Amino acid sequence: MRYKSQSVAYWYFAVAMALFGLQLVFGLLSAAKYLGPDPLINILPFDVTKMMHTNLLIVWVLTGFMGGTYWVVPEESRTELYSVKLAYVQLVMWTLMGVATIIGYFFRYGTGNKLLEQPLPSKLVIVIVMLMFLYNIGMTIRRAGRLTTTEGVLLGGLGLAAILYVPALLHYQNYTVAIFYRWWTIHLWVEGVWEMIQGGLMAYLLIRLSGADREVMEKWLYVIVGLVFIAGILGTAHHYYWIGVPGYWLPIGGVFSALEPVALVGMAMYAYSAIRRSGLSHPNGLALHWTVGSAVFTMFGAGLLGVAHTLPSVNKWTHGTLITAMHGHAAFYGAYVMIVLAIISYALPALCPGRSEKGSALGYWAFWLQLGGMFGMTLAFATAGIGQVYLERIMGLGYLDTQLKIQIHFVMLTATASLFTIGVGLFIYDFFRYPPQFAVRSDAEPELPLLGAAASN
Amino acid sequence: MNKRQSRFFAIACTAVAGALFLGLTVNSHAQFDKLTNAHNITAEVNVGNKAWHDNNCINCHTLFGEGAYYAPDLTKITKLRGEAYLKAYLRDPSKFYDEQKHRRLMPKQDLSEADISGLIAFLEWVSNVDNQGWPPRPILVSGATLPGSTFSEPQQAGKTSDVSATTPLPPGARPTTSADDPIALGENMFRSANPACVACHSISPGVNLAGPSLAGVSARTEALLASPAYTGQAKDVAGYLREAVIAPSAHRVPGDMYSANGVSFMPSNYGKDVKPEQLEALVAYLSSLK
Repeated sequence: MRYKSQSVAYWYFAVAMALFGLQLVFGLLSAAKYLGPDPLINILPFDVTKMMHTNLLIVWVLTGFMGGTYWVVPEESRTELYSVKLAYVQLVMWTLMGVATIIGYFFRYGTGNKLLEQPLPSKLVIVIVMLMFLYNIGMTIRRAGRLTTTEGVLLGGLGLAAILYVPALLHYQNYTVAIFYRWWTIHLWVEGVWEMIQGGLMAYLLIRLSGADREVMEKWLYVIVGLVFIAGILGTAHHYYWIGVPGYWLPIGGVFSALEPVALVGMAMYAYSAIRRSGLSHPNGLALHWTVGSAVFTMFGAGLLGVAHTLPSVNKWTHGTLITAMHGHAAFYGAYVMIVLAIISYALPALCPGRSEKGSALGYWAFWLQLGGMFGMTLAFATAGIGQVYLERIMGLGYLDTQLKIQIHFVMLTATASLFTIGVGLFIYDFFRYPPQFAVRSDAEPELPLLGAAASN
Repeated sequence: MNKRQSRFFAIACTAVAGALFLGLTVNSHAQFDKLTNAHNITAEVNVGNKAWHDNNCINCHTLFGEGAYYAPDLTKITKLRGEAYLKAYLRDPSKFYDEQKHRRLMPKQDLSEADISGLIAFLEWVSNVDNQGWPPRPILVSGATLPGSTFSEPQQAGKTSDVSATTPLPPGARPTTSADDPIALGENMFRSANPACVACHSISPGVNLAGPSLAGVSARTEALLASPAYTGQAKDVAGYLREAVIAPSAHRVPGDMYSANGVSFMPSNYGKDVKPEQLEALVAYLSSLK
């Protein structure tokens, strides 16, 4: 840790870890309900556990992004944060909002709008917290007068994420129009600006971990951002299939979402070539596993499994089946969970000096158990989904009868999800095993080229 | 390519894609009202829309294929189930499905009668939205378009003679008691009468098996009774359906695959094998297929 204020990141990571654990409790509960019958049906029905599962994911991943940014920005801009106090106030507000929202969900206090179930007061707090965060980061960079490409991309992603939340605050009387704008937030987050955040964090990590040349890495980061947006923005169209919008969204969705993997393949190649060229100079092999793992699993989960059902002629049959759950789990895990775990694994040895810089054996167990578990869950959803598509959508067997015939896949889902949970449990245990100590390192960092300077090259 | 060019690439890609997307959004707005029949969004539809959100329906069901995958898609539900059925179902789902059999059940919702009517109006509005004809085939809640595929093995072997407590039920059917809603009882009869109605009749529009599809049979009958060409004896929908079950030849659907020489191919044993109260339940169920 080179800057004292980077220590705020630890508390963001700690909150993220606690919420991650909670997310899995509700995930496992939801999976068990697929097996049924459900003894909690009148106390904690599926709609509530599923809503908590997805909302906790969004909250903790965003917490991780903010923590990661508070870690990255002082180092990139070579200065202390503008206000440590503001960062803590922001974390407390954010956490209280998250916990209050989840408690409200027990009583079904929500909007009933998928993934945007947060009631208006929570949404307003989210907006305020995001603005506080962007202000704090913006002032830090402004005071330092140094903006690198990596943090520029990271910040661009976070700023746009805040802006794209605005349509979620409005009410639409026409259900189709409501769906149309819901995707402005959800899709443009996860297949647009969040990928910018992932790309920014990945560039930061690869530069540190592999010693790859910053100029080259940042040049390709721009290319990846360009590819993400050209495919991602118009790729929103794949959410406009069959919802009552004009038919031209079908071919647009087919073409542009088929292009979406290009950026993701690019990202995987980017990560792989960085470690190949440099010969792994950094001791933190565990963080490197998570970083490269994130790039590869994103290519698989978001890229490959997304394309698998994105063409209108395929999606006509798979739309609204467990095929979507297959893609959703693998994509979110690879792109966002793994990159947050990567930045945590990278920063942790500096925040908790007791631990080895190389990463612990426990940390590697956590990595492989999670990877194996999530791969198994993806396969369980895939096999269940394929069965569902053929039985229910093509052969015309009733929904309930179909679900009974694919029960065995839910057994597999629960088993692999348990494996995954063990992996996450180990990661969380490993995180809290060493107490944090915020000691500042004094050795100077090599000179960083700036965004302005780079532009004139 | 140097870094400056790559930055230009990123900005240009974003700007071009963003501009196109915004243009298409403006164009879509010009068409939303027509595609979604916005003039049909009545106060009752809005009540239903609110009830849909307040009860978090989207986190089990899908609508337009969007939502959660724990319960059936409801985009076209009002095309498959009539208002009477949906009302009775929303009042108490456990009267229609059995959690022990299906391994899941919709919890009873705290819905007022206004909410229930609103939800049905909302779902009816949804079912008429022009969504490129999705789903390509009807998504059924239960039962099957393929005869026999929902049956237990003893049933497939034809060992059931009538509906009693000891009769093996299809995996998807729930045991019923006489206290149940007549529509639910009738749905059960539809699967378990001998021979089972479902063996020859689907309730999917356009899926004609050995017998014609019964999707919308109630509405069609109503139209038929009102038309001057009708010369049959039955005076109302229930009467017509009752007659069609016990005396199939009285009301024939045209076509060489359904009848010959004025005699329907449908078995005529239901008049003596089905008890009067079972027949009434079956008629109640068929009347609900709007």
